Amino acid sequence: MESKTIDFERGWDHVYKGIKQLRRILEGLPEPLFTSGEYVMLYSTVYNMCARNPPHNYSQQLYDKYREVLEEYITSTLSPSLRGKRDEFLLRELVKIWVNHKVMVRWLSRFFNYLDRYFVDYRSLPALNEVGMTCFTDLVYREVQTNIKDAAIVLIGKEREGDRIDCSLLKNVLDIFVAVGMGSMERYEDDFEADMLRDTGAYYSRKASSWIEEDSCPEYMLKCEECLKKERDRVFHYLRSSSEVKLIEKVQHELLVTYIDRLLEKEHSGCRALLRDDKADDLSRMYRLYCKIPRGLDPVADIFKQHVTAEGTALVQAIGAASNAPGVQEHVLLRKIIELHCKYMAYVTDCFQNHNLFCNALKDAFKVFCNNTGTDSSSAELLATFCDDILKKGGSEKLSDEAIEETLENAVKLLAYINDRDLFAEFYRKKLARRLLFDRSANDDHERSVLSKLKQQCGEQFTSKMEGMVTDITLSRENHAAFEDYLRSNSAAHPGIDLTVTILTTGFWPSYKPCNLNLPTEMIKCVEVFKGFYETKTKHKKLTWIYSLGTCNLSGMFDQKTIELVVSTHQAAVLMLFNTSDRLSYSEIMDQLNSTHEDLVRLLHSLSCAKYKILSKQPDTKTISRSDYFEFNSKFTNKLRRIKIPLPPVDEKKKIVEDVDKDRRYAIDAAIVRVMKTRKVLGYQQLVSECVEQLSQTFKPDIKAIKKQIEDLITREFLERDEENPNTFKYLA
Amino acid sequence: MHKLGRSHRDKVQQFMTITGASEKAALQALKANLYKRYKDPYTDMILVDGITLLCNDIQVDPQDIVMLVLSWHMKASTMCEYSKQEFFTGLQALGIDSLGKFRERIPFMRSELKDEQKFGEIYNFAFGWAKEKGQKSLALDTAIGMWQLLFAEKQWPLVDHWCQFLQARHNKAISRDTWSQLLEFARTVDTSLSNYDAEGAWPYLIDEFVEYLNENGIISNAQSMTDWSKK
Repeated sequence: MESKTIDFERGWDHVYKGIKQLRRILEGLPEPLFTSGEYVMLYSTVYNMCARNPPHNYSQQLYDKYREVLEEYITSTLSPSLRGKRDEFLLRELVKIWVNHKVMVRWLSRFFNYLDRYFVDYRSLPALNEVGMTCFTDLVYREVQTNIKDAAIVLIGKEREGDRIDCSLLKNVLDIFVAVGMGSMERYEDDFEADMLRDTGAYYSRKASSWIEEDSCPEYMLKCEECLKKERDRVFHYLRSSSEVKLIEKVQHELLVTYIDRLLEKEHSGCRALLRDDKADDLSRMYRLYCKIPRGLDPVADIFKQHVTAEGTALVQAIGAASNAPGVQEHVLLRKIIELHCKYMAYVTDCFQNHNLFCNALKDAFKVFCNNTGTDSSSAELLATFCDDILKKGGSEKLSDEAIEETLENAVKLLAYINDRDLFAEFYRKKLARRLLFDRSANDDHERSVLSKLKQQCGEQFTSKMEGMVTDITLSRENHAAFEDYLRSNSAAHPGIDLTVTILTTGFWPSYKPCNLNLPTEMIKCVEVFKGFYETKTKHKKLTWIYSLGTCNLSGMFDQKTIELVVSTHQAAVLMLFNTSDRLSYSEIMDQLNSTHEDLVRLLHSLSCAKYKILSKQPDTKTISRSDYFEFNSKFTNKLRRIKIPLPPVDEKKKIVEDVDKDRRYAIDAAIVRVMKTRKVLGYQQLVSECVEQLSQTFKPDIKAIKKQIEDLITREFLERDEENPNTFKYLA
Repeated sequence: MHKLGRSHRDKVQQFMTITGASEKAALQALKANLYKRYKDPYTDMILVDGITLLCNDIQVDPQDIVMLVLSWHMKASTMCEYSKQEFFTGLQALGIDSLGKFRERIPFMRSELKDEQKFGEIYNFAFGWAKEKGQKSLALDTAIGMWQLLFAEKQWPLVDHWCQFLQARHNKAISRDTWSQLLEFARTVDTSLSNYDAEGAWPYLIDEFVEYLNENGIISNAQSMTDWSKK
């Protein structure tokens, strides 16, 4: 670097020559490009004029000259070419001069580069390229900004109407808006985007108002989807990505939000109609369109809920009105409800992407009609019976294992919608007991799988007793093997009759009435033998015998042939009385047996007035009266070698409901105490709602029942009312 | 409270002169005399006969509500009997040391029922007093009798309906909570039930009562209630 001072005029002269050369190149005149040597010379000249001590330091003057040169260039060459031009031509010209301007700034900055290095920072002045930008903004941009904005928006409008436009031109124009912002998007947003959005809004508002009149809901939705896609493409092709969110929101607002009610409520093609006609595709589209809009899905979910509720209610009523036999009716009802559930679950999963709103809508809908069966039996009982029918022998032998599993799975799902879950548990337990004890269970695996499904759905406590029951049966089998060993090794103790005993753990099993029936001696001996065996195993447990659950195989020596009779233990006790007497009156039987009237009537009826008349009755009426006489009917015969004499069970429904009500009172009591123990002081409304919450897994408590328990707890001095505010309760430790 | 009337003063003076006792002791002795008059011959308590005699002396019907007020002052634990302690507590509280004084205090005791605060205390006291010793609840018949007595003073228009309702629908003893909340109900809820909060923490029985009133169309007759109550 030559280190000599240089006179301003001379230095500037040199530089200015270079600038003129640059301008000629830019104009496209035949001018050689700068050699690196020439460039170095120019740079050095500037350097020499700046890297000096005053008074030979011409940095400020050069800085000012830089600006002057640019301004002169713009006003003389660039701006004029814009004048008089409009629309697309204006845009094209603008892009052209912008390119030129950028080149000019780039080269000039290279020449004047030394200023950028020190002077600019030293004096905290704008850098050279900033100066360049400002000149362009002040002299070109400000004049034409409105026109180019309008021209751009017009082009976009044309594209919306289907014309092809020059996307790269638009992109370049929008680049200018951004560049002019010098690091911020303010110019782009204020000078272009705002109006573009407004124009977009107006455009779609016009379109929507005519489409909503003419088009069906699916057609309208298709158009919306297309428009949204096109707008996204627009962003991709020329708009800035920061515009996407605002643009889409605008479009959605005009097309979807403004007309949401009219669209969904369209009579023949709106949401309700789509559901009715199973239009899954259209519903999926509806979901896609509205899921991004805040609260957009709420009306859709609402209509869905109403629709499912209506369908379910109609179903329940239709089946209630049909004249099938009672048992069949209820079975059909549950199957249909399960079908309905599967159908609409599919909607939730496929069309509505398992969205929370729709899951809850489905749940709420089912809760409404699943609890009103319109029959005498509660839905809890119906569901338990339904499961029993499938699980017992002869229930569903025609179905494949998979089909059974699926049906049971669906049945358990329905339990979530039933309020009285504890009632279901009780009915299920009772029926499970019968299945297990009378060996009526079709398939152990299915039984276990249902229990595990119930456990998953309702918690461990729900199924712990039932699981205990199943375990008891398994243990009993093992126990029986041990009993047989015992008999083999103590042949003297053998009662002479084959005996199988099932041991039930109290607490797991439903409670049974104990009975004091007098058994025939043969049976008594059996009981004694077993007791002896059991005492060898454990001395701590007490056995209570429940003969009402037992079965007995008797050989009936009839005149024609011997038939094996499969009867209950009680029935057997009655029949064996006739081994020692030919004829017995009702009261004699009553005395010998020590039964209750209710039970005896049932027993005798099953043996003398039902399908198989093992005993003959005098008089030969259809009902049992206390003055009847009975004889062994030796003339009885049947083509089968072995028949089962059924004993219809007592209707336990009332007792079950009573038991559950009692349990509920305890549960409510415990819940209130739990809540108050933690909270110490609580208002009435809150106490009630927390109790309901705590109990919700098991059942839906009656508010009156909660109130009664609260008052009971006040009397028992667990709680008291607050003196100042009788609506608040305090826990008394 | 202990201002002595002329003749009374004389008596006390007399007593003091004769026995040489202080005024206070003299008064005590007079009270003890009263107690001796009414107490049962075999137990150290005032029982039914004694109470009857007392009522006679002070010219008050035994069924009169004033007896309840008296019992309240005595903090009596149960009706139809007063312990010695309770009797003296009552006399002390009312500033009574002679029958004359006793009679004089009757109007005052009646007036106490008009005081909102005191009425509330007396009302709540009545529950414990009227029920059987050792029971937690009050027998229905007794409760109804007490309510009719009390609400004759306080003028609650729905009292008869309430009693009818209980006899028809409830037929069981009344808990303390129900008893005390009923007063709140009578005080705060107007006869047309317009400000009754069904979601509130009113006892179950009161909710049922409201249902009963609505079912039987009694509420729409609220207007005629106000006239009728001015019997």
